[in-house]
Amino acid sequence: MTAPTGTRGRASSDDPRVMLDEQIGVFEPIPPYPPRTEREAEFYTLRDGEMFINIGPQHPSTHGVLRIVLKIDGENVVDLDPVLGYLHRGVEKLCENADYHQAICYLDPLEYVSSLFCEWPGVMAFEKLLDVEVPRRAEYIRVLSSELNRVASHALFMGWMALDLGGLTPILWSFIERDEIVEMLAALTGQRMLFNYFRIGGVNGDLNHEFLSRLGDWMGRATAQIESNTALLNENEIFVRRMRGLGTMDSETALRMCMSGPNLRATGVPFDLRRAHPYSVFPELEFDIPTRTEGDCLARYLVRLDEIKQSLRIIDQCLNEMPDGPVMAKLPRLLRPRPGRAYAGIEGPRGQYAAYVVSDGTDQPFRMRIHDPSYLHLQSVGLLMPGHLIADAMAVMASLDPIMGGVDK
Amino acid sequence: MDPALRRRIERRFGERLSGPVRQRHDETELRIGAGDAGEVIRALHDEPEFAFTFLADLAGVDTGTTMQVVYHFWGASTPDWLRLVVDGLPRDDPRVPSVTALWKGAEWMEREAYDMFGIIFEGNRDLRRIYMPADYQSFPLRKDFYLADDAARSPGAGVRHMEQTHAPRNATPAATVRRTRA
Repeated sequence: MTAPTGTRGRASSDDPRVMLDEQIGVFEPIPPYPPRTEREAEFYTLRDGEMFINIGPQHPSTHGVLRIVLKIDGENVVDLDPVLGYLHRGVEKLCENADYHQAICYLDPLEYVSSLFCEWPGVMAFEKLLDVEVPRRAEYIRVLSSELNRVASHALFMGWMALDLGGLTPILWSFIERDEIVEMLAALTGQRMLFNYFRIGGVNGDLNHEFLSRLGDWMGRATAQIESNTALLNENEIFVRRMRGLGTMDSETALRMCMSGPNLRATGVPFDLRRAHPYSVFPELEFDIPTRTEGDCLARYLVRLDEIKQSLRIIDQCLNEMPDGPVMAKLPRLLRPRPGRAYAGIEGPRGQYAAYVVSDGTDQPFRMRIHDPSYLHLQSVGLLMPGHLIADAMAVMASLDPIMGGVDK
Repeated sequence: MDPALRRRIERRFGERLSGPVRQRHDETELRIGAGDAGEVIRALHDEPEFAFTFLADLAGVDTGTTMQVVYHFWGASTPDWLRLVVDGLPRDDPRVPSVTALWKGAEWMEREAYDMFGIIFEGNRDLRRIYMPADYQSFPLRKDFYLADDAARSPGAGVRHMEQTHAPRNATPAATVRRTRA
């Protein structure tokens, strides 16, 4: 009696009777081409006792499709080389082939957890090119909806952070917040994640009843709920002791690494574009810029917590001071800005989001440059990880909160 | 707009500017040639009357006739964004000095500009492609990039680009390049 064989030519690799003479499914970390730079040659040369290990491209703690080649000695990370491009869609090129209205919808999927912040700099740069005056009500709605999005993004960060450290509960709790907010924004914009809500000269729709009633409900209990969520982590000794002193960065290095947002503020630099380079109606709003001086993972986490509270303050003021009026400026359907250049930067939940647009007088942008903070924060992982254990290295990366959609554009 | 910044720039870099200092909305723009880039950026970073400590962005631009590298800076000395355009780089061999000595974080932004435009940043110790595969031959954000020509050799072959539909099949690359005087 012979063993049953399948009709396919090759036996399955998990069949224990099959002896494979080559390893399959194992990603070889060493690239199959000669090193292109000095640094690459240095990285891919192993000293005694060192070895390479691949993390990704499919790995839960890489927050997307990222491959990191770690050079390890025992369990310590010696060096690392992030390999990008798995999500690269060429958004900048796509925008150059779309007209100014169409380009906005390419900006959304850059950072899929905080889409409004990706739309905003693009829209703002287009408005600068066209000299459009945005109605005040539209500006207030922009601030209101984007601050909600910031809370949703930071809530998700808290969950992820804990998940990468091995705690499963917080992500379930933080998704309660995030889900409520994205449902709210879905009532306003029609979409849960990729909102495509901002328009050149305003926003797509006025506030509606469902959004406002959901928001009112949520604002009543948000503070208490966020407090209880944070108590879950802040009073957890394992979490706090593991995060303290991990991945420390000082303020000069952070500036040299072009970091921005909460990661920079966690090192003690009170740099927030809402104050440093005011835009929209932020000069009229009252809020503080939370900073920490430690510059470690715990500081980055706590800065984001404090930011949630400030965002709630801003939302409250927006609701109280929301002016009446139109939500869109009057604009022709076909936009042909005069030849020129415009740059707009905003403060997002991860740092400075910016867009640089060159117009050549046609209805399509000639060059659209998108600047994303995740890209630069992921770069500084190379500075923070070496010397830590592999498990801690993942915590360091989670605390920087990069989103691969933005990194890969 | 910050006219004081404009006067400071004109006084300090007068003869090095390759065009007038332009101001619009909250942006101040100066243009220089590649030869002066290193010194001017160092001066903008170091000297207390400028003190642009925050590199907000670094972008390559292909105008169709020349290459540019565009830097955006933020500094506490002015409410404006400062835009520095390093202008007039030849398209067949664009070279600028790297700013990684001042901002280590510019390394990846320069890698991106190299990957997308082929701009060589002299002094960047890790200037290799970052998004595109290592065996990729061309520079996708250049204005003379057509997928039909060169991406057929890449692992992504078979994807047809919308730009291809704009380019007549028998046109020379020079005839179809979109240009701007920006």
